[in-house]
Amino acid sequence: MANSANTNTVPKLYRSVIEDVINDVRDIFLDDGVDEQVLMELKTLWENKLMQSRAVDGFHSEEQQLLLQVQQQHQPQQQQHHHHHHHQQAQPQQTVPQQAQTQQVLIPASQQATAPQVIVPDSKLIQHMNASSITSAAATAATLALPAGVTPVQQILTNSGQLLQVVRAANGAQYIFQPQQSVVLQQQVIPQMQPGGVQAPVIQQVLAPLPGGISPQTGVIIQPQQILFTGNKTQVIPTTVAAATPAQAQIPAAGQQQPQAQPAQPQAPLVLQVDGTGDTSSEEDEDEEEDYDDDEEEDKEKDGAEDGQVEEEPLNSEDDVSDEEGQELFDTENVVVCQYDKIHRSKNKWKFHLKDGIMNLNGRDYIFSKAIGDAEW
Amino acid sequence: MAYQLYRNTTLGNSLQESLDELIQSQQITPQLALQVLLQFDKAINSALAQRVRNRVNFRGSLNTYRFCDNVWTFVLNDVEFREVTELIKVDKVKIVACDGKRMYFYSNTSVHRDMFTHI
Repeated sequence: MANSANTNTVPKLYRSVIEDVINDVRDIFLDDGVDEQVLMELKTLWENKLMQSRAVDGFHSEEQQLLLQVQQQHQPQQQQHHHHHHHQQAQPQQTVPQQAQTQQVLIPASQQATAPQVIVPDSKLIQHMNASSITSAAATAATLALPAGVTPVQQILTNSGQLLQVVRAANGAQYIFQPQQSVVLQQQVIPQMQPGGVQAPVIQQVLAPLPGGISPQTGVIIQPQQILFTGNKTQVIPTTVAAATPAQAQIPAAGQQQPQAQPAQPQAPLVLQVDGTGDTSSEEDEDEEEDYDDDEEEDKEKDGAEDGQVEEEPLNSEDDVSDEEGQELFDTENVVVCQYDKIHRSKNKWKFHLKDGIMNLNGRDYIFSKAIGDAEW
Repeated sequence: MAYQLYRNTTLGNSLQESLDELIQSQQITPQLALQVLLQFDKAINSALAQRVRNRVNFRGSLNTYRFCDNVWTFVLNDVEFREVTELIKVDKVKIVACDGKRMYFYSNTSVHRDMFTHI
C-alpha cells in the first residue's frame, strides 16, 4: 500500500516513546509517593487522547489490542461488558474532559496536607480584568504564584460567561479569582453534574451573580454553597461569608459593589455606544466578552473627544493588510516541528535542510529524519 | 537537557493534557508533571534521532520567515510534501525549526512560549 510506510512507523514510534516515558518516570512517581495506578492512568489517558485525535492511523493502546484479540475469541458483548468494568473508573474521568474543553472536574473533599492558612492579598489575585480563559490548573498556579498547598480546584462559568477559578486552601476556605487572558468559550456549558458525581462535602463557591461588576481585586472567602444549574446558566446562591479574618473587611466592600454592578449586568450588548457606528475596536475583538468597565469608559471618552476624526478611523484601519485573523481561525494548522541543519537563501530562493521532524498535515501525523525543501519568497 | 520543541505535537499535547487532568484531580503535583515532560523531551528527541530513517522533500512558496533566538519559523503556502510513498498537499504550513547542531537551553522566553506550553 502506498501509505504503509508512514502509517506503520508512526504508531510504532509513538508507542515506543510512550513505553519509554512511562517506564522512565515510574521511579519518579514512586519517589514522590504516587501510586502505580496513577501512572497507569496517565498512560491510559495519553493513549486515549492519541486515539481520539485521529492523527495516527491504526493506533491502539495495549488494552484495546487485548480487547480486540479477546473479542475474536469470545462473544463480543459479554467480553466488552467484562472489560468495561475495568475501564469504568477511567471512563468518567475521560468523559468529563470530552464533554467540555474546560477542565471542570468536581473534586472530592479530600484535602491536602495541612498548610498554613492562606490569605491571598488582592494585588496578587488579578492583574488585568479582561475576560478570562481556560487555563490549566497548574498554569494558573504558576502564573499567580499561589502558595504551596493551594491549587485551583475548579473553574466556574458564571452567568455572563466569565470563567472563575476556585481555589481551595488546606483549611477548606475557598477563594475565587479571575485569571487574566482572553476567553473563548461563550456557549460552553458546565457539564451536567451527575448526581453520582457530586460529592456531598464539596462544592463550590462562586461569586454572587454579577461577574462583570465584581472588582477583580476582591479576595473573597466564602463557605461552600450550592450552585443551581438552571438550563445553561449557573446561578449562585450567595451565602454568608466565612469568617476568615483579614479578608473579611473586603467582603462588605464586595457586597457594596455588588448591587452597584448588578444594573450593569447584561453587559456588552447593552452598552450604549455614544460615538456612533464607526467602531474600530478591532484589537479588542480578540478579547471578546467582558471588557473591563473602566476600559470601556475610557474608550468612550477617547472616541468622544475625537469626534472630528471618527470618520477617519475606519479609513486608517483599512491600511492594515493583515490576514492574521483569518489564519488564526484555522483549526488544524499544519505544523512541522523539527531541527534545521542548514537554511540557505539566494536572492529570493530559499533552501531548507531539516531533520528529525514531526509533521501534522491535514490532521495526520508524519515523521521524518531528513527533509529538504525549496521555496520562493 | 533536550529540546522542548516537541511538546507542541499530537504526542506532546496529549501528554500535557493528560498530566493536566491528573493535576486537576490532584493525583499528581505540577512538579511531577514537569518531570514527566522533561523525560518526554529526552525520549522523543532520542527516538527521532535513532529510530526514524526516512526522507521527505517539499516545495512551496515562502510567505514569511523569522529567525529569532536561533529558531527559524517559516510559513509556506501551497506546499507539496513528497515522500517515497505518498504526496501530501497543504495550503499553508508553519515550520518551526531549532538549531540542529547546538542545543540551546531556553527559559521562559516569550517568543517561544507556544513551544513550551504550560504544564
